[in-house]
Amino acid sequence: MKKENEGELKVPWIGYVAFFFAVLVFSGIFSSYDGWLRVFDFNVLNGSFGKIEGVEKVFTFRGAGGTGARDGFLFALELIPAVILALGLVNVVDGLGGLKAAQKIMSPILRPLLGIPGVAALANIANMQSTDAAAGMVKELVDLGEITDEERSVIIAYQTSASAFITNYFSSGPAVFSFMLVPIIVPILVMLLFKVIGANLLRLYFKFVLRNRLSGGAKNGNE
Amino acid sequence: MATNDDVIVEKKNILDLFIEGAQRGFTIGTTSLLPNVVMAFVIIRVLDVTGLLKLIGIVFAPIMALWGLPGEAATVIITSLMSMGGAIGVAVGLYTGANLDATQVTMLVPAIYLMGNPVQNIGRCLGIANVNTKHYAAILGICVINALLSIWFMRFILMFF
Repeated sequence: MKKENEGELKVPWIGYVAFFFAVLVFSGIFSSYDGWLRVFDFNVLNGSFGKIEGVEKVFTFRGAGGTGARDGFLFALELIPAVILALGLVNVVDGLGGLKAAQKIMSPILRPLLGIPGVAALANIANMQSTDAAAGMVKELVDLGEITDEERSVIIAYQTSASAFITNYFSSGPAVFSFMLVPIIVPILVMLLFKVIGANLLRLYFKFVLRNRLSGGAKNGNE
Repeated sequence: MATNDDVIVEKKNILDLFIEGAQRGFTIGTTSLLPNVVMAFVIIRVLDVTGLLKLIGIVFAPIMALWGLPGEAATVIITSLMSMGGAIGVAVGLYTGANLDATQVTMLVPAIYLMGNPVQNIGRCLGIANVNTKHYAAILGICVINALLSIWFMRFILMFF
């Protein structure tokens, strides 16, 4: 997985289907449909807990008005099915090549936006799901002389902010999915946008702040 | 919180893939999310019982007002410096306690991940990639800037929903 990617990722057609499916399910487009298309919605698939009849209201097993560790525990129990479902779906999409498809679709846009070589694409795919693995791949790229020290910092600025965003978001995010006012996919897009903005802030910083401070010094070396 | 799974795609059937991911979801749910949420709820409880939550609400009100958020929202941002799951838990705890409404929680969601636990990331991302230490401050600063800008941006986006 080191060098075979020179901008050319192989993505099977099913990968694109999987990616498209993921976008549908997490976009909430079909959440308010009455017909069978509702099946393509995360919250529909997640379903709901049975309700317990109270004297005046109905409750889920968490009840109402709890506090502290006990309330937190029951609340977390309520969330776990969503995390199981989300990571199950993500793994299917990933296993079918959907995340690679996503990167392939995005990389012609991302590359000029980040100003980094195409070889970084694979590290950035890994960054969707794992902080450490992706960072390790970036280090390797520097060691192989594929990218410079400053390019590494730009890539890492992209990776650090909202690192492993797919895994992290779907591991804890389901806590807010039920009452969040935007489709599940929107925060992901916002995170991606700001990852790109952040990397470019660092480029600007290099261009205007660091250059001026050490103009004439050894710059842009490989080490 | 991220797991080191293989990047190699093997031929597995869809059901196996789902089960594999679901097992990871169960593990993450029980070993990471649940303790984080319990911790967050206990923190909220401590802050609430001691009256510190009110105090934070008052002290941070002028700053958080810049984003159209109540002062209590500062606890979410502060927690996100140490734990994303914890920060989500705090946000939900404040939502349950009616300190934050759904709009305000929604605004904070991307910020929690963009902040992305810089305390851990120094080791896990910058350290592993062997980033030039002279760039550390800038990169970590960018995480904070990203997070704070995203709250405004979410506010803007929410106008369309």
